[in-house]
Amino acid sequence: MARDRDEDYAGPLRRIIITILALSLAATFIVWRIDSPRVERFRSAFVDRFVPTFDWAMVPVTKVLGMVENFQSYTRIYEQNQELRRELQQMKAWKEAAVQLEQQNAKLLAQNQVRLDPKLTSVSGVVLADSGSPFRQSVLLNVGSRDGIIDGWATMDGLGLVGRISGVGRSTSRVILLTDTSSRIPVIVQPSGQRAILTGDNSPFPVISFLENADQVRPGDRVISSGDGGVFPAGLLVGQVLQGHDRRLRLRLAADYERLDFLRVLRSHPAEQIRDAGPLIPPPASDLPGPAPSAPITARGGNG
Amino acid sequence: MVDPRTTRRVAYWALFLALTVTTTFLRLLPINPMAHGIPGPDLMLAFTFVWLMRRPDYLPAWLIIAVFLLGDMIFWRPVGLWALIVLLGTEFLRGRVPLSRALPLAAEMVMVGSVMLAMLLMNRLVLALALVDQPPLGLELLRLMMTLLAYPFVAVFSRLAFGLHRPVPGEAAGYGRRL
Repeated sequence: MARDRDEDYAGPLRRIIITILALSLAATFIVWRIDSPRVERFRSAFVDRFVPTFDWAMVPVTKVLGMVENFQSYTRIYEQNQELRRELQQMKAWKEAAVQLEQQNAKLLAQNQVRLDPKLTSVSGVVLADSGSPFRQSVLLNVGSRDGIIDGWATMDGLGLVGRISGVGRSTSRVILLTDTSSRIPVIVQPSGQRAILTGDNSPFPVISFLENADQVRPGDRVISSGDGGVFPAGLLVGQVLQGHDRRLRLRLAADYERLDFLRVLRSHPAEQIRDAGPLIPPPASDLPGPAPSAPITARGGNG
Repeated sequence: MVDPRTTRRVAYWALFLALTVTTTFLRLLPINPMAHGIPGPDLMLAFTFVWLMRRPDYLPAWLIIAVFLLGDMIFWRPVGLWALIVLLGTEFLRGRVPLSRALPLAAEMVMVGSVMLAMLLMNRLVLALALVDQPPLGLELLRLMMTLLAYPFVAVFSRLAFGLHRPVPGEAAGYGRRL
């Protein structure tokens, strides 16, 4: 065979052929380096032709691999379960936090939307400590004389009256709640207009006392502050009438005493005092004979 | 025309091509060849060297060039360079096959390993000269180690599956030429 002879005797020829092949390979590399995009296009065309012919063989292999992965995921089911439980626990904590934030948000929103007499401006404070005991129902606020708080001002949460300021420090103040035994608030029971005094007795439901006519008051009636005595602003919602087991009329407070977080202290303005006893109203000066005209003028000036 | 020696040689060429296709297929499979960060062996290179050290006449230069050029194309290597380097390495070894025939496997592995290392360094040197981005050297060295580790297994496999072994002294006489 010619071929065998070639391989046997053509050592130099073979060497030349190898050299040529090597040089052409080197040239290929140089061409690739110089004109990379064209060679790469050719390469991708080649791969496009060549690799998809493997598709039929790849299908079973990929299927088997998928099955193996599925089986592995079955064996990991216990771990996954534990993992999911852990995550669920964390999610619960987050949910709790979200609910609390939502409630706080609702409370703040409610405070913002409460409509009051425009004369009443307010200072908002955060409850520092609930210093209540069985005998003293009070909370501490983080606003004080520095913020202009004065003893006796009314305090509300977003829903209703909470109490009044009693004791002001420089940066804190104490709020006596309506349930405290020393709390007395003048109120009006709304539809019938009955005036009464709301008296705290350390129970969650303060007593409505000194009603003029108890028959006109029914459970469920709205109770608002009356402003009698000039300490409290009038017209603040306090709560609803409730009849206790002992047949006494009590009050279900509108304010949420379970969660006192933010309180508004209402700036009360001292009610105008009427000092004189109401002078005689004389007829116009022109009708009066004699030296009378000077007297009514001074009386009227004193009235202002 | 068809004498048994030529038939057998052509059969081995076809076998080598089939091996090429198989290893290429294995590398194209969607299995990650990097198990725990260790690259798999370059089976094609191991087969080439095993066959070359056993029966150089079953592995002509053109077959090596064709196979590695194919690999260059498919595996997105710089076209031609690795084929050229493999050609040079195999030619270097081909001239020394008669010398190494009496060597034990360990010595043969040392020889092949040093040639592979020289090829790898040459490849990197040329690529660096041509300002081509290269994979990290550590990974390539690891791959070379893996290839060397696979070498004896490939040798045993080739012997058991394809009956590839070094010609025994008496065998050459039957062919009437130097092997």
